[in-house]
Amino acid sequence: MRLERLPTLRVNPSEQCTVNYHGKSYQGVAGDTVATALYANGVRVFGRSLKYHRPRGLYSLDGECSNTCMAVDGIPNVRAENTLAKNGMRVAAQNVIGSADFDWMGFMDKADWLMPAGFYYRTLHKPARLWPLALRQVRKAAGLGKISPDFKMKGRFSEIYPTADVCVIGGGPAGMSAALAAAESNLRVILLEARPWLGGCFDYRVSAFDAEKKLFERGRELAARVEAAANIRVFKHAPNVGIYNNNLVTAFQIGPPDGAYDERYIEIRATSVVVATGCIERPLLFENNERPGVMQVGCAHRLARTYGVMPGRRAVFSIGHDMGLEAAIDLCDLGMEIACVADIRDDGQAPDLLMALAERRIPFLKGWVAARTHGAKQVKKVTLRSIEGSVKRQFECDLLVASAGFTPLTGALTMAQARLRYDAHTGYFMPTQLPAKMHVAGTMTGRNHPLSIEASGRLAGLRAAADCGADNADAVTVADTHLGRLPGPERGTKLVTAPVKGRKSFICFDEDTTVKNIKQAIDMGFDVPELIKRFTSAGTGPGQGGIPGHNLPLFTARYQALSGATPLPTVARAPLVPTLVATYAGAHHDMCKRTPLDELQKRDGGVFRRIGVWQRARYFSEDLSCREEVLNVRNNVGMLDGSTLGKFRLHGPDALKALQRVYVGNMAKMSPGKIKYSAMCNEDGCVIDDGVVVKLSENEYYFTTSTARAGETAEWFRYHTRYDGWDYHIVNLTDGLGVVNISGPNARKVLQKVVDADISNEAFPFGGYREFTVQGAIPVRAMRLGFVGELSYELHAPAACMVSLWEILTEAGKEFGIRNFGVEAQNVLRMEKCHIILGVESEQRTNLLDLGLGFLWDRHKTDTKTVGTVALRQAEGDPNHFRLVGIEMENPERAPRDGSIIVDRRIRGYVCTARRSFSLNRAVGMALVEAESAGVGTRLEIFEDECDGRRLAARVVPMPFYDPPGNRMRM
Amino acid sequence: MALTISCPVCGKRNGYEFRYGGEDKGPRPDEKGLTPRTWCDYAHMNACVAGVQKEWWCHKNGCGVWFTIHRNTLTNLEVDGPEVTS
Amino acid sequence: MFQRFRPLWGKRPHLNSSYDAVIIGGGLHSLATAYFLAKEQGMSNVAVIEQRFIGFGGAGRNTAIVRANQRTQENVPLYKEALELWPILTKELDYNLMFNNCGNLNLMHSEAAMNAARMNVCTAQFHGVESHLLDPKQLKEVEPTINTSPDITYPVHGAMFHPPGGVIRHDAVVWGLAKGAARHGVHIHQQTEATAILTDGGKITGVETTRGRISAPRVLVSAGGYSAGIINRMLGIKLPISVLTIQAMVTQPLKPVLNHVVSSGMYHAYANQTLKGEIATGAHMDPWPNYTTLTTAHYIKHQAEALSEFLPFLRGVKFMRHWAGLADMTPDMAPIMDGNDPIEGFYMNCGWGYFGFKSCTATGRHMAAFMAKGECPERLKPFGLKRYENHRLMGETAALVTYTPDN
Repeated sequence: MRLERLPTLRVNPSEQCTVNYHGKSYQGVAGDTVATALYANGVRVFGRSLKYHRPRGLYSLDGECSNTCMAVDGIPNVRAENTLAKNGMRVAAQNVIGSADFDWMGFMDKADWLMPAGFYYRTLHKPARLWPLALRQVRKAAGLGKISPDFKMKGRFSEIYPTADVCVIGGGPAGMSAALAAAESNLRVILLEARPWLGGCFDYRVSAFDAEKKLFERGRELAARVEAAANIRVFKHAPNVGIYNNNLVTAFQIGPPDGAYDERYIEIRATSVVVATGCIERPLLFENNERPGVMQVGCAHRLARTYGVMPGRRAVFSIGHDMGLEAAIDLCDLGMEIACVADIRDDGQAPDLLMALAERRIPFLKGWVAARTHGAKQVKKVTLRSIEGSVKRQFECDLLVASAGFTPLTGALTMAQARLRYDAHTGYFMPTQLPAKMHVAGTMTGRNHPLSIEASGRLAGLRAAADCGADNADAVTVADTHLGRLPGPERGTKLVTAPVKGRKSFICFDEDTTVKNIKQAIDMGFDVPELIKRFTSAGTGPGQGGIPGHNLPLFTARYQALSGATPLPTVARAPLVPTLVATYAGAHHDMCKRTPLDELQKRDGGVFRRIGVWQRARYFSEDLSCREEVLNVRNNVGMLDGSTLGKFRLHGPDALKALQRVYVGNMAKMSPGKIKYSAMCNEDGCVIDDGVVVKLSENEYYFTTSTARAGETAEWFRYHTRYDGWDYHIVNLTDGLGVVNISGPNARKVLQKVVDADISNEAFPFGGYREFTVQGAIPVRAMRLGFVGELSYELHAPAACMVSLWEILTEAGKEFGIRNFGVEAQNVLRMEKCHIILGVESEQRTNLLDLGLGFLWDRHKTDTKTVGTVALRQAEGDPNHFRLVGIEMENPERAPRDGSIIVDRRIRGYVCTARRSFSLNRAVGMALVEAESAGVGTRLEIFEDECDGRRLAARVVPMPFYDPPGNRMRM
Repeated sequence: MALTISCPVCGKRNGYEFRYGGEDKGPRPDEKGLTPRTWCDYAHMNACVAGVQKEWWCHKNGCGVWFTIHRNTLTNLEVDGPEVTS
Repeated sequence: MFQRFRPLWGKRPHLNSSYDAVIIGGGLHSLATAYFLAKEQGMSNVAVIEQRFIGFGGAGRNTAIVRANQRTQENVPLYKEALELWPILTKELDYNLMFNNCGNLNLMHSEAAMNAARMNVCTAQFHGVESHLLDPKQLKEVEPTINTSPDITYPVHGAMFHPPGGVIRHDAVVWGLAKGAARHGVHIHQQTEATAILTDGGKITGVETTRGRISAPRVLVSAGGYSAGIINRMLGIKLPISVLTIQAMVTQPLKPVLNHVVSSGMYHAYANQTLKGEIATGAHMDPWPNYTTLTTAHYIKHQAEALSEFLPFLRGVKFMRHWAGLADMTPDMAPIMDGNDPIEGFYMNCGWGYFGFKSCTATGRHMAAFMAKGECPERLKPFGLKRYENHRLMGETAALVTYTPDN
């Protein structure tokens, strides 16, 4: 069955490989794709089309359309034609009810008259109650592959980010020549090739390259040289998926069956890029042009030469290019009966090919084209017509090799913003302007002579090397002159469609878009290709522009010929090859920061939450109200890991000026050993951060920021002083220092046990800052703060000492029953004190005054240009802002849920944080409300979600709720 | 697009290492005589140039410096000067 | 069953030398305004000027998601009105806008986010819009594809569920409105670029175009991402707008599997299944202004990483097409709709960022009333330009928003 002895084979017929299709085993050989294995076993129908459920077969071998999209091992839309078969693969046809051969939905093909272009928009909405029903059917009918909602992707995925001097896209003769030429200058070269082997259009052809070598031999010779070059890194089986400006190239590589990865995402930064992606074939438009049994020239030829599978017994060829003649001759020599070769061209064929056709007595028709295939599930007969349509002939066959010509794969160029223009000579879209440091080579330039292909590659490679600074001007000139002497771009065929009406001439296979549909769309005013694409869906299926990409603009221009339209290229978008989400995701490491105390907090039963980049312990028990944690701080002593706090050192002669610029307070008024609480605003006067500042010595400060702002604080300082040329330095110590907050009436007793310094209230009062060591070893910066409203020490120590510090304090606190408290307990404690958390008690638009923090602002600071103060002055007194107020619920047992709104007939504000307070036995909270509702004593109605009209009642009360004079934190 | 930015300290680097800092509007105007309108012009209003603009960037994942470049907003490429060179 | 294939929005009209109103931009807001001007305000001598083809910009590149679960009482009624207009317009325009009211799920990844979402839910319920909070178990029942396991970067704590939202076929809205506007006499001029807006003594007098001069007493610029540049270039009025590219992508088509619009602020991604079966997903904006509409490698990878976590079945699905459009962002994430100030007869409708689609019909209707009567309708008053200099930003964003490469 297999043509086992061909020297061109890329399969190993001696090694078998079995795939399971619809419950039956099919025997393939090593190197087969899923589709070639099935085809070798007589499978002709691989699936059904989207709308009409037409049978679809093998048409190309590079995945240009959805014809052979199948489900493989539960993964939908796998392109069977270029997916390597693996032993035991389970394969199923898509979009069928029944099987690919017997699809119960097959009748849809007769209903095409019901579905002209854009029929959805014009139907199914009258009467209105029809639409919800129709919607369900539309959804069911749409889509190709099926995937289970709980599908779990198997496999290993990785990613690499190489850099290169020159990146060559395409491992055909031009790409290989380019890579070799660039490598001459000792540059680092990367070569990307989509197929599992190098060789491109030489790889399977047995025509002569020169007196000694055939094309495939030449291809393998070049490949050997490329692979042997130490400075060329070759990625085979690695389709290029994207190219972005500044020559960022992306690709993915499919791993070998037993490799370290299944697919690997590759992102390359290259100085210069050579695009040598070659051509695909331009489909021929005629009636039933996608019947199983119709395939492209390269598909038929490679099926035999690369895979050893005879594509049919008796073939008709309808082609427009010498490669078609070459394939007919070669397949004839391999034993296929060629019923007829119809060539669109009237002239221009290579004389040796014509002679070879004649020698083999192959009937040859010039100026003829396939007009229709016959046969329900497979081609049985072909009608050929003369180009103008007047004469017809019919041939029985089981294979129609059809191709209008070639079309360059320009996706990489359009993505890179090259300008393309229709070139009348070649019939290609050719670049008229390339981005900097990008070059094209090979058949995509219209050159088909093997020597020209290689020479254009060499020239492009040398030019790319020059981009990287190679001193090769002479070599470039020589290569340029050499190329100029070789055959140039060839004339291409202009024929767009066979002389037919086009009811079943498919311009896009994936979306079942016919020539007739395109005419309908244009008649309706959709007159540019991009609009036609949107209206008819042509080119938006799994194969994207592969099939319609060239014919759509050509046909559109021709249909509008009266207005003198020239073909406009359609837009190619990434990914140039459909790419798995899993492949793009790659190795995907979740990166987060953990505090130095992370392990200890876990040991103590911490329930962690991701807060920004950090993992923090939110609870230490199942009780989400944190009653025990809260009361332990109020009545005893607790410890909190505050290491995520932003911590900065600011020093230099102009450090104070910088502080004055960003903080609203007067930072010149700081005394040694005391902390200053202040806030930063943005240009709108809205508060973006609050924290404390300590003056360590002349020109040396230490300050903290909220966790969320730590990453941006240095930028903020530098941005707002960027015109000043001040001499100061800011150092982010956030990760270098950890923080323990020890709070509660017994906090001093615990701490005093482990420090030698005097930390009595007199020696180290509230608002103080001290430096001392814990157990004579751990250097600590200590602050007396009152965020939770109790006697409290915030201890800052080097991250490396944090575990020891924590364990020392835990040990010392044992006799008092010291225990952890988490972020939520802190949240309740600080809420009782009405200490705000930005982003919770503030919106984006909340300014310093709205929060009642106006006392932080020193209006008398002069010449500091403090950020935010212009806006604060302008906005001061505007009643049109939400103000922060304290609220107390009428029902002391029932706090509203956070985020509930405050309403009367309209919305007046919302509840930021509210809790049933264990310390106070009241339900209290903070809310942002309109100024007119902000007066103490105002009664508020609270509207909770799902409240069903029953509102809760609250009253505005003075803040804070807990220990208003603040005695407890001054103990 | 794949933006690259030339940091005056570190050289040409991946654009994602930088933070955009807005159109260059010059130093902050003097607070005296500022009306809400003129302040708003400075704080919020943009020219939204379709072409080359001078703008601020910070090499946030690098040396931390703030600097200006010229960039063509139609191509997203850094350019040498204020003129469109294409 | 089908009429002949006639041009949907009429044959290419002659460019008159004068119109009652000229609308610059051929997107959704423009077409909706034109449609309602002609239909409800009796002003049909209107020209829509589009540089390329209608729906080229944001109208054809957006999420197509519709919902009315915004945060503030200024916004919700506008979006509610828009939501209720879809079925009415489908009938009025006799064009199937293919409203798939599948419901929206906004995933929340922390207690704090659930609380923030509660404000939206309360605001919606207060305005009679259906919206609920779901816990992870309820969420899993509603949409089984979502990963509610704790071992992902941002475990799902719950969701905001908004059943009346969904997805519209955005192109159909463009074409339907164009059809409706043309039928009422509006002239849609494609491939016509406005090159200048003409004023005299503080009043609008007309528009200069590549096809000639038009005199008109009122001009509306609603050209999406291009608006701010046009308004500054032609009238010297600067706006608080940054034009960013926003990206989206679709996977290959699948049989029905994802039954809601799912979005996550934390992962900065949304995903829904289109009627064609593709999973449409996106949301990323690079934080520097540009007009390129180019996509980035960084983002498609980032999106894959995000989807791998909260919709892990998608790991077995392939991305097929990735594109970008422009989003004109304002500092407070709310649009700017204003008129007659400082130039009489000049109107603007811009700053819609990435949420201009949802409200386009209701906005167009109010803008039409604004332009016809010269008086700003109540519903649009909060959206005036002066709010920035008056330090009265809209409250649509709870917290400060900074754009980073990873959101």
